[in-house]
Amino acid sequence: MMGKANSRRSTSSQASSKLSTASRSLFSKSSPKASASGAGNSGTSESPVSARTSLLNVLRRPKSSHAITSVTSTNASSKHGQSFDSFNEDDYSDHGSTVASSYASSIRSSWSSRSSSSEDIAKRYENYLETPFVNTTTTIKHSEYGVCTNPNWRWTSHWDPAEPVHPEEEPQPPYYILLSTYLSYLLLIVLGHIRDFFGKRFLPKAYAHLVPHDGYAALNSDFDSFYTRRLKMRLDDCFSRPTTGVAGRTVVCYDRVSHDENNTFQLTGTTTRALNVSSYNYLGFASSSGPCADVVEASLHKYGVSSGGLRHDTGTTDLHEQTEKLVARFLGVESAYVCSMGFATNATTIPALVSKGCLVISDELIHASVRFGVRISGANVRAFKHNNLKHLESLLRESISQGQPRTHRPWKKIMVIVEGLYSMEGTLVPLPQLLELRNKYKFYLYLDEAHSVGALGPNGRGVCDYFGIDPREVDVLMGTFTKSFGAAGGYIAGTKHLIDRLRVTSHHMTYAEAMSPAVCTQIIATMSAIMGVAPPLASPPALEEPNDASSIVSRASRTFNYGPVPSHMLPSFMKLPQVVLNGLDGRDRLRRIAFNSRYLSSALRKLGFVVYGHRDSPIIPLLIYNPAKMLLFSQMMLNRFGADKTPIVIVVVAYPATPLITSRIRFCLSSSHTKHDMDMLLRACEEIGTLLDLKLAKQTMTVEQVIASAEELVASTHV
Amino acid sequence: MSSAAGASTSHHGSNSMEVPAPLLPLLSILSSLFLNLSSVFHRIPGSPIILRYIKSSYQDDPYRSLLEVLLVAFAIRTIFKGRTGGEGQGKSFIKFSEKEIDELVDEWRPAPLVEELEESDIQTLSSVPTIHGPGGTHVKLSAGGKSVLNLASIDWLGLVEADQMKQTAIDTLKEYGVGTCGPAGFYGLLDVHLRFQSEVAEFLGTEDAIVYSQAYATTASVIPAFAKRGDIIVADRGVNFAIQRGLQISRSQIRWYAHGDMEDMERVMQQVEKERKRKGGKLTKKFIVTEGIFENDGMMVDLPKVIELKHKYKYRLMLDESHSFGMIGAHGKGVTEHYNIPASEVDMLIASMANGCAAGGGFCAGSSVVCSHQRINSSASVFSASLPAMLATTASTALTVFNNQPELFNALQANSLLFRQILNKLEPTPFSVPPCDPAYITPSESMPPPAVTNNEALIHIPSHPQSALIHIFLLNPPSTLQEEEAMLQDIVDETLNTSQVLVTRARRLRGQEGLEPEPSLKICMSSNFTKKEVEKAAQALKQAITKVCSKRR
Repeated sequence: MMGKANSRRSTSSQASSKLSTASRSLFSKSSPKASASGAGNSGTSESPVSARTSLLNVLRRPKSSHAITSVTSTNASSKHGQSFDSFNEDDYSDHGSTVASSYASSIRSSWSSRSSSSEDIAKRYENYLETPFVNTTTTIKHSEYGVCTNPNWRWTSHWDPAEPVHPEEEPQPPYYILLSTYLSYLLLIVLGHIRDFFGKRFLPKAYAHLVPHDGYAALNSDFDSFYTRRLKMRLDDCFSRPTTGVAGRTVVCYDRVSHDENNTFQLTGTTTRALNVSSYNYLGFASSSGPCADVVEASLHKYGVSSGGLRHDTGTTDLHEQTEKLVARFLGVESAYVCSMGFATNATTIPALVSKGCLVISDELIHASVRFGVRISGANVRAFKHNNLKHLESLLRESISQGQPRTHRPWKKIMVIVEGLYSMEGTLVPLPQLLELRNKYKFYLYLDEAHSVGALGPNGRGVCDYFGIDPREVDVLMGTFTKSFGAAGGYIAGTKHLIDRLRVTSHHMTYAEAMSPAVCTQIIATMSAIMGVAPPLASPPALEEPNDASSIVSRASRTFNYGPVPSHMLPSFMKLPQVVLNGLDGRDRLRRIAFNSRYLSSALRKLGFVVYGHRDSPIIPLLIYNPAKMLLFSQMMLNRFGADKTPIVIVVVAYPATPLITSRIRFCLSSSHTKHDMDMLLRACEEIGTLLDLKLAKQTMTVEQVIASAEELVASTHV
Repeated sequence: MSSAAGASTSHHGSNSMEVPAPLLPLLSILSSLFLNLSSVFHRIPGSPIILRYIKSSYQDDPYRSLLEVLLVAFAIRTIFKGRTGGEGQGKSFIKFSEKEIDELVDEWRPAPLVEELEESDIQTLSSVPTIHGPGGTHVKLSAGGKSVLNLASIDWLGLVEADQMKQTAIDTLKEYGVGTCGPAGFYGLLDVHLRFQSEVAEFLGTEDAIVYSQAYATTASVIPAFAKRGDIIVADRGVNFAIQRGLQISRSQIRWYAHGDMEDMERVMQQVEKERKRKGGKLTKKFIVTEGIFENDGMMVDLPKVIELKHKYKYRLMLDESHSFGMIGAHGKGVTEHYNIPASEVDMLIASMANGCAAGGGFCAGSSVVCSHQRINSSASVFSASLPAMLATTASTALTVFNNQPELFNALQANSLLFRQILNKLEPTPFSVPPCDPAYITPSESMPPPAVTNNEALIHIPSHPQSALIHIFLLNPPSTLQEEEAMLQDIVDETLNTSQVLVTRARRLRGQEGLEPEPSLKICMSSNFTKKEVEKAAQALKQAITKVCSKRR
């Protein structure tokens, strides 16, 4: 095991110290305004007030014409706020509030007054990532799941018809940015070719794998690997940074250096703990301690690590069956099965659903695993423009009327494959309209909820829950456990008939290893935390309703009722604490991620950044366009020059995952983040975004204004 | 340009006689517009030069001007056509009116999403056992039931039950949690992954290794990461399902050779060479894809010969050791150790961490170029969350067991031999104990089965004597695959019901496999069984086979 010196790095490099002086002057310029706005809004965050009064404060402010909808939604959350308040009484109202608010106000004053030096702030933030502001009794570490007890910082994720699901037009950057981006790539490509030209002649060893030698053809195509060698390698410091421990609210990264232009990296032996806005840990269930980890430990004692072999041999244990029943119950469908890898779930199931003579129409931005599966299936494939249902409809009309290519025979079946939440865009699928199309054109709908399940909807059931649609409307539901549940693998869910048939025909069931019992337990524990567990004596509400296959329309209009899981469905060794059993912990997690997502997304827009996606999406892409800025942004976030000096790790996404020019930063938010974490992230974006000229849209608020009016931003129906 | 203007005015003039009066203002507007345009054009700096150039080029070479005009027209057409080819294009496209399309949409009746369950499917589902409680050599098939002897789980060294594996997992849990919540590129690359990669590379003697999160996906993804359209793959006909899917995805040209037949392999390679010489063309990548211990029948590859041919014809070798890693060789390094061939001779060595290591996931070992290529280009590595930390650490623990307890491998082979000797009574030819020479190749490796000498023979076992994965084929199977599988299922049930020994039959997706493998019984040996247990299991199976086969006669 490598040495673990949890030293926080002092920013020592020349570049960052230069930058830090620049930033200080930036902050001192903006701070007077900020203090003014902070004072005006002190009621919400400084004095220990109840959830209701603070929400009323928000509501009393002048509102736009959308006030009515926001009133109803905030009313709903204030009700929840009350119940939450009582549950967390010890934490919040006894000692927590005073400590928290004094701490918060001290931070606020230090940010706003010029007199306090940046050293003071740095000192105050020294243990920010590991020690919470308040004393808590929770067993979960603050570094994995942040302590955040203020009930105002909660939101319920649900569809508001007043907000468009998908904006008609993506925001466009100014022309000079486009031009400079194209020029950068042109320069990189020209330089790359020059280097290749001379390199091949003077350093033949380094190019051995790219040129035929000794009768062997080159292993890698010179042309195919050009992007990787000449463009991506310059950014390699942003990718595959090794980490250790839990990728929770914070993550510990190994520091590394490269002495050969990123060909290889050497670990320096030190580590840096950084705020983690990169991992798909939506509900914060990735943790090494706490109730879920305890249950997994009990399961490891009983079942061990492996169940030994394939599902159809002896890989199926009672734990697998319990997991599958629970997943079906969680999603509100009849049946489900699990697969040991998320990628393989798509890759092994799609070939069992479609074959030659069938047509798959998928969104152009669909995940690689779906493409993999479709290619194995042998079905024909078409793609429609991202979330563009008009284009989908025209494709459908054309495909159905034309039939199969050349023969014009009718298609056996048409399957439309979409994702609930797109992992690079933060956009949601317009599910209600898609279902209308489905009723007209009779295609089958395959919904990949890899990112949305757990992360969206008032009950955390994904996009169906978010839009208030009966999950049984969707023909095939797919999702993964890697993200919201802190486990691994994926599921396929649908009618009993479908799942039984897929158990026989899916490649995974017959040929791939079974899921580890420990992973099954993590899934069971986290799902029951979200659902809540009904006491043994209470009779569980019936899920199946007889004779409802008659009318699809009537089913769609019915709201679906997700109940708690009856305790008899859970393994007997599972002992969960009361706060998890009654579902309050799970509900709190759902509310926290909803607040964080909406807050950061709205705030970044107010600051003038170009942000894609839906405001309720926990995936928030921030556009940066120029390739050189990607590396700078990533490194500046890690070597923060801002006063608090807290490192932040972020993900940069570039071609080929995105179109060439729309390189972006992708924030993945989590319930484990606190509001202070979001504030810090916003300040960091402000510092770096100003320096790198990323605020390409119109800025309407300063960063301190945005932080002060967080609740208002979240409650408003538009940005 | 001025001549063109002149032509237009003369045109205007000649027509003005016949043009009706109301059109005159329109024409005058047109001509004034034209004059304006030409004056604007003249104001552009450099326009006289262009004009002069066009004029002179027209006078010098009128055909060139025509060509240029055509080129411009073509360019404009291409721009407006857009890139969405296939839509409304193609020779067989039929134009319909909107109403016709509506009717066709109404008329279209799609097939059901999945077919009805057939009788055989229901039987397949009902024959899948559920293990209550932990796996291992003894398992329970119902909540309070009696425990049965388990020869159906892949657990070569009895690591499924090992306490040190559990302890490693629990220690890991307390530091890393369960999931990694991200792909390796985005902060999902843990130090435990790096540690396992360097450990396994050192263990095998390769430069580097890369970890995947599922063994099936490893195989199916490594192949297309290297083999592309136009490349040539020479593959064994008996390869497993995951390899077949990888070959399919690669879209390379697949050349099959008869299962385990090295002469046929050479013949295919010679043919490829001949074709290349005849056609010319550029050098393409050539791969051999085969398995160490074949998943479908337990046979072992003749690695020395494969390596020889690989060097002779300049191929790269992809060897799937999913089953042989942790089973074959003095330390479980797989067939390379068995034949005493350095693992670095194999270009891409693919293995499972779920079988031999009793953890989960898979890895590919090879040179550092091979591994770093996969980190960026292999879809199951790039687009999937990384392996849970506890599976990587338990696999590391398994490697330590391999290194420190080679006696386990002796016990495993002794158990396999004992089992084979007992079942040999039902085989056509006498079973010979293989000598310790690593280069030894059993006669069973040369299919088809040898001539029948034992008149009582019922079964045929092609598996390698050292293979802990033992496939039992019926010698005189019923005419259809369904009947044969039903019969094998009868044997499985009979063994379980009379002797409490759990075995399984090889499950297949009929109609999806490349070359339909014959139905077989699948036995997984473990070093954890005592001699007595192995004898009991073998006798039970022998009796069951005899009983079921005699019933049929």
